[in-house]
Amino acid sequence: MKTKKRGMKNRVLLQQEFKIQGGDFVNAGESSCKIRNTLREIGIDSDIIRRIAIAAYEAEMNVVMYAHHGTMKINVYRDKILLTINDKGPGIENIVLAMKPGFSTATEEMREMGFGAGMGLPNMKKNADTFKISSEVGKGTRLEIKILLNGKNG
Amino acid sequence: MAEQTFFHSIKVDDAKCIGCVACMKACPTKAIRLRNHKARINYERCIDCGECLRVCPHNAIMPLTTLLSDLDRFKYKIALPSPVLYTQLGQEVMPNEILTILKEIGFDHVYDEALVCEMMSIATEEYLDEHKSPRPIISSICPVVIRLVQRLFPSLCENILPLEPPREIAAKNLRLEVSKEKNIKTADIGIIHITPCSAKMVSINHPESMAKSNLDGAISIREIYNKVMMKLKQEAGLLMMQTQTRISGIGIGWAFEGGEIRGLKYTNTVSVSGLLDTIRILEDVESGRLKNIEYLECLICPDGCIGGPLTVENRFVAKSNVLRLLRHFGGKKRVNTNLVTKLYKENFFSFKWAVEPKSFPPLDADRSMAIKKLKMKEELTGKLPGTDCGVCGAPDCKTLAEDIVRGEARLEDCIYIQRKKLHDTQNNGEN
Repeated sequence: MKTKKRGMKNRVLLQQEFKIQGGDFVNAGESSCKIRNTLREIGIDSDIIRRIAIAAYEAEMNVVMYAHHGTMKINVYRDKILLTINDKGPGIENIVLAMKPGFSTATEEMREMGFGAGMGLPNMKKNADTFKISSEVGKGTRLEIKILLNGKNG
Repeated sequence: MAEQTFFHSIKVDDAKCIGCVACMKACPTKAIRLRNHKARINYERCIDCGECLRVCPHNAIMPLTTLLSDLDRFKYKIALPSPVLYTQLGQEVMPNEILTILKEIGFDHVYDEALVCEMMSIATEEYLDEHKSPRPIISSICPVVIRLVQRLFPSLCENILPLEPPREIAAKNLRLEVSKEKNIKTADIGIIHITPCSAKMVSINHPESMAKSNLDGAISIREIYNKVMMKLKQEAGLLMMQTQTRISGIGIGWAFEGGEIRGLKYTNTVSVSGLLDTIRILEDVESGRLKNIEYLECLICPDGCIGGPLTVENRFVAKSNVLRLLRHFGGKKRVNTNLVTKLYKENFFSFKWAVEPKSFPPLDADRSMAIKKLKMKEELTGKLPGTDCGVCGAPDCKTLAEDIVRGEARLEDCIYIQRKKLHDTQNNGEN
């Protein structure tokens, strides 16, 4: 009985994947917008949608700003939503430093465009229930953002 | 059922509707369908923006605003014109003259709303000073913006400025003052907003932040226009000597986009007008992109209220007229700041309660069913031609797919699918 229940819990109910092109500022933000619309259609609570929208947008912008290309995958489970972002790019040299609010390696141009305030990663962490980051310099970065759904309001 | 949750300010006149696709295509929330060659508004999805009213080539979409003939039920009638009215009657006519004329077409008293607009700039500053988050604060003057936020951006309800718009504050104050001064029962006083759009009827009949609106109705500028023009012609020259009301130049600026933010000491502000641009900027706010902005003025009509669907003058001329008025009246303060601060502290301007989120219904109340339906919808969308012709009665193929999974339409409603089926059976017959 118990194992069956756990099986249900870990079953992916819905999965969507989006490609993100590095340097494409024109279409930046589209994937997170699509994710938001999907979550609305399946009746996810508005506060949770807002948290996911913020995390997804920040993650998407990071790929656009720093990486060559990447993917954003959203998995909806019965009790949680998992957002996974993989990119091929320069990676992050010092993750501890990158997680510090205000730290940024953004160029002057990016800052002029209003990006690179050094709040991207801290913001994602703030809106996630669990946040995992791993990176290899010269290869790329992987983010896992988990947001729990509680009861029927989730 | 839906009418219980939301009052609406527009209605289809079946006698005039010929069942073309104009309104259905224009609707931003996909609330209109064609059924038996008539437009049908799904009031569950309608946000009263008035786009259908603008585009209908047959005048078949009716605004449900107050009529001049409805005024008789009030013993004492007060007109509270939107500053937009001052921009509608040509270059030469001044606000004072317009207020005088309103008194001659059946109102007992008139009041310049612009003065209260100026007050609300001060009150808004007080609020921004006092509350440092969330950001940006979104203005509360356009009833359509409020509904749009409730429906499409429910998590942003907490960003809405919890102060009533000038028309409500002016009416609240007028009822108190006039009943005392003239010794009239408050219930005998009818306070009527003169409006550039039908959406004000929504906030009057179904306010989202209090139990009962302070206004008793809203007459459209179109409804009074001819009468006012006739009077103007008859009495040219005589008018200037009459009604000398204080007119606020700062407040008149609220007639078009930027009016609210121009009056603020904060400069990190943004103003947006037009439906699509408003939706776009609210998407940015929801992504957390505009946290550095203090105040966001959103108006659904293009260029703001002067672009309202129930105005008469074209909005570019109206804008030129309002700029001329701004030059004439200047930026001189007409309002006592200390009085506004005092009223603000007494919560005179405040919402009674916060605006509640009211999201669009998901595909199904049950999550796993909703996910199943979402997958079905995507599959169906792939089968449909993607030409968005509208013949099926839905505005586009994707919406037809959604209607099908919601059980409100059939795949055979699509004319392309029908033709293909017919073709297939004929071919089978020949074999």
